[in-house]
Amino acid sequence: MTGRGGVTTGPLPIGQFVQLVKQTVIRDPLFKNQALKGEVTQWKQYASGHTYFSLRDQDGQMRAVIWKGRCAIDPSIKEGSEVVILASIDLYVRRGEIQLNVERIEPVSILGELEKTKRLLVEQLRKEGELDRLRQPIPTLPRHIAIITGAGSAALADMQRLIENRWPGLRRTVIGVLVQGPRATEEIVRGLAAARRLSNPDVAKGRGEPPVDLVIVGRGGGSPEDLWAFNLEPVARAIIASPVPIVSAVGHESDVLVSDLVADLRASTPSDAIERVVPVLPELQYLLDEFEERLGVASRRQIHDSQQRLSILHARLRVAPMAGLNRAKANVLTLSSRIKVSTQKILGVQSTRLAQFEASLSAIHPQRVLERGYSMTQTSDGTVLSSIDGLNVGQQIILNFADGSADAEIKKTQLNEGTK
Amino acid sequence: MTDEIPTYTEAIRRLEAIVAILERGGMGLDETLKLYEEGADLLRLCKKELATAEGKLNELQLDEIETQLQTEEQ
Repeated sequence: MTGRGGVTTGPLPIGQFVQLVKQTVIRDPLFKNQALKGEVTQWKQYASGHTYFSLRDQDGQMRAVIWKGRCAIDPSIKEGSEVVILASIDLYVRRGEIQLNVERIEPVSILGELEKTKRLLVEQLRKEGELDRLRQPIPTLPRHIAIITGAGSAALADMQRLIENRWPGLRRTVIGVLVQGPRATEEIVRGLAAARRLSNPDVAKGRGEPPVDLVIVGRGGGSPEDLWAFNLEPVARAIIASPVPIVSAVGHESDVLVSDLVADLRASTPSDAIERVVPVLPELQYLLDEFEERLGVASRRQIHDSQQRLSILHARLRVAPMAGLNRAKANVLTLSSRIKVSTQKILGVQSTRLAQFEASLSAIHPQRVLERGYSMTQTSDGTVLSSIDGLNVGQQIILNFADGSADAEIKKTQLNEGTK
Repeated sequence: MTDEIPTYTEAIRRLEAIVAILERGGMGLDETLKLYEEGADLLRLCKKELATAEGKLNELQLDEIETQLQTEEQ
């Protein structure tokens, strides 16, 4: 054999060669933690606790070992099982055999079958048009929510906590059912039926509560098998048939189940369902307060505008010809009293504020100012004077008092000290 | 859903419209009064709805609720 560098050496002991191969093989990342699938053959569990088998398909096979306690082994795995394993390559030097060290092993037969039935159900529902059906709207303000989920589950605790934060007093009925295992499908369907009866107005009346108007059905995350009830036809059919909108809230975000596809609303998790359907009470109250305020302000302004129109009408009436005067007068009187009534109706206590406003308005009326001892000076062309600027000696001016006016003449002008 | 009793959503939508009309202005007295009264009624209705949604929390096992419903229906 020729070594690297061209130096001829003696033959390499096979053990060393196998070691070299092993070092090369186990270092390759491609051969580490690979997910592999195939059929189990020569399945043998030894008293030592180690399990040996071969993983094969029509094109090839390899030996595999599950070291004692390395991972849980599903008891259903036997000769001929389809499995998925997570394994790394190893080389058993003493025998020169490549083998797989198994980190995890899962049977695929159950899941494979489940996936197949799910696919068929979805296809069937699509053909029937159920996936495109018009969804029921979710009420903005649910009066009575039914929550169908595992009693005492973490998902229920999460939902309750969120509701407490958003609207602690919101009426709700929790129906505790099994959400996994062989009886889950039946219990979920019965839970949906109970919610449906609670949505019946007569039943609700008898119980002294509003009918259920929204249903949340769900559970927290889990393995695909754990969530499987939500992929089965009876649950899907019960959701489709519901007269009340249904929110499907199953698992974690990545799980899409048949119940999600047929529900009126799909929430990614139970918590997400609460966030999407339970309003935040203080926000609702704030909105109503705001409307109340705006309604009052806008109405008062409209009344005020009407009052102004009335004043104009009144002014025009004074210069109107006598013909039709009485009728117009009557109109004004009616309008006037109606405005008064409306104002009282709308303003209530606010009317005092309006009266105060009117009082302050009249306080600044020029006439009132004159009554307090001030006078107003005008030029002969009617310009109101507020400065001596532009006044000439000998100019004629008019002095206005509260009870009359006087003509006067400028004798002298003088700036106040400190005035520019 | 009937015409006489609007849902909360419908009430809020109508309230929004009424406030917008009033804020735009230019209405006569009659119309203003009518809108104000309708708005005030809707506000009352919404507040009542909020009160209606408040209630007790029932937490029941499937069997319990089924038994209750059965007894009530007899």
